[in-house]
This record gives sequence, C-alpha cells and structure tokens, in this order.
Amino acid sequence: MRPGDSMGRRLRISGILVILGLLIEAVCLLWSRPIAFVVLVAFGGALIGFGVLFFLYSLVSAPPHPADSPAVIPIEK
Amino acid sequence: MPTIAIVILILFSAVLAGVIVVRPAITASSAGKILAFGVLFFLPVFSLVAGMENEMRRSESTAFCLSCHIMEPYGKSLHIDDPAYLAGAHYQNHRVPADEACYTCHADYAMFGTFRAKLGGLRHLYVYYLGTPPLPQDIKLYKPFNNRECLHCHLGARSFEQGATHNADPATLPAIKANTLSCISSGCHDVVHNVGRWGDKVKFWDGGS
Repeated sequence: MRPGDSMGRRLRISGILVILGLLIEAVCLLWSRPIAFVVLVAFGGALIGFGVLFFLYSLVSAPPHPADSPAVIPIEK
Repeated sequence: MPTIAIVILILFSAVLAGVIVVRPAITASSAGKILAFGVLFFLPVFSLVAGMENEMRRSESTAFCLSCHIMEPYGKSLHIDDPAYLAGAHYQNHRVPADEACYTCHADYAMFGTFRAKLGGLRHLYVYYLGTPPLPQDIKLYKPFNNRECLHCHLGARSFEQGATHNADPATLPAIKANTLSCISSGCHDVVHNVGRWGDKVKFWDGGS
C-alpha cells in the first residue's frame, strides 16, 4: 500500500466523522428541545472532536515527503 | 451569531468536508492542504464553539424552560391576572426580561451562578428523561430562594428602600438585606407561582410574548 493511500483513507475517515458531527449539530440547533444540547455535546461534539483529532493524528503520523528526506550521498570508493 | 447563520456555516463546512472525502487526492497540492486544514480543523471547531454558545444562550430563554411539559403550569403562572402573584407581576410588567424570565430570577447572581444554573439544568434533564419527574406542584427549589436574587435589582430602589412595610419595623430592612428574613416568607411576597393552588377564580392575562 502506498503512503498516499493511507493518508487518503485517514482523511476520508476524519472527513466522515466531521460531516456526521456537523449534521448532528445542525439538527440540534434547529431542534428546540432541552435534550438537543445534550445530543449536540455528547454526539455532535464527540464526532467532530474525534474527526479533528484523527485529522491531526494523520498529519503528524504521515510519512515524510521525499523532498524533506536527507539527500543520500554516494560514498566513493 | 444567529442560529440560521450557524446552520448555513455548518452545511457549508459539511459540503467542503464531503469534497475531501470524495477526492482526498486534492490535498496533494498546497492549496488542497490548506483547504483540508480549514475544512477538517478550523471550520468544525469554530462551528462547534458557535453552536454550543448558541445553545447556551437559548437555554436562558423562557421558551426553552417552558418547552418541558412539566414546566407548563409555571409558564401559565406568568400570565395570572393578579398582581399578588410575584412571578406574573414581574413578567407582565417587564421587571424581568420577558424572554429570559425564568433565568433572571432562578440563576444565582454570584460568581459561578451561571455555571451552577447550567449544571442544575443538566440535572433537570436527567430527572426528566431518565428519572421520575415530580408533579409540577411538587417541584421544590434545591435550596431556599436567596434575597440576593431580588436585591440584584431592588436594592437601592426607592420603592424598596422607602416602602412602608419594609420600614414599619426598623429591623426589617437590615434583615432582608442580610438574607435572614426572606422576601418570599409568609405574609410578605409569598405568592410566587403557587402551582396547584390557583383555585377556580384565577384569571389569565392574554398579552405578552
């Protein structure tokens, strides 16, 4: 598996988590019931939080770009 | 920020996040990376904070408190056409903001009063949805009503400081200010909501919001 595939998969997962969290938040904002706040925090907030954290994790765990790697200098014999 | 603006921002963020989900390859470019950071970090966090702030503000509204079925009689008591009813008199004469009537009197005017009011609200939710809610007339305050909440507005007001009843006994006014004599004690302003004890003769004012 190429490194780009892994990064793309992680972006997809974090994107899906964020989208679900945002949709729950939108529904809660339009749903004027006291329980809406709890649902917003417990489900919407948690999904958005996990999505954002997973995105940040995918950034720090991404393999270094080839251009950032130290150049390999051939040793002359 | 108005609710509809936050909802539009949320939907916009969700659509952009959908683009990343469908085409993650666009993050290969610098512009794509900036987009991904904005869509998967900045916009969701901003939307969440704005949404929670909006919900917190909404939880202070009279409509929010009265949206629980159990609170309906208390909302009705705000419309009783009798000035002896303390809550109704305050609501109808806008001595408290009509759209934040419950919160204005039932949140402590102390450093963590707002925070404690929100915690109390969560406890109400727990009892309402997972516990056994009492009958409306059986609802009691967690602790006796503190005069501080009344004095927040009335302290220094002429009607309070020079009121005939308040000054009939020289010890009364200091006792009220020291919270040793409750404003809503028997014989004073003791008719507040009186849910369950209205009788048949009570009339309702149909004005207000």
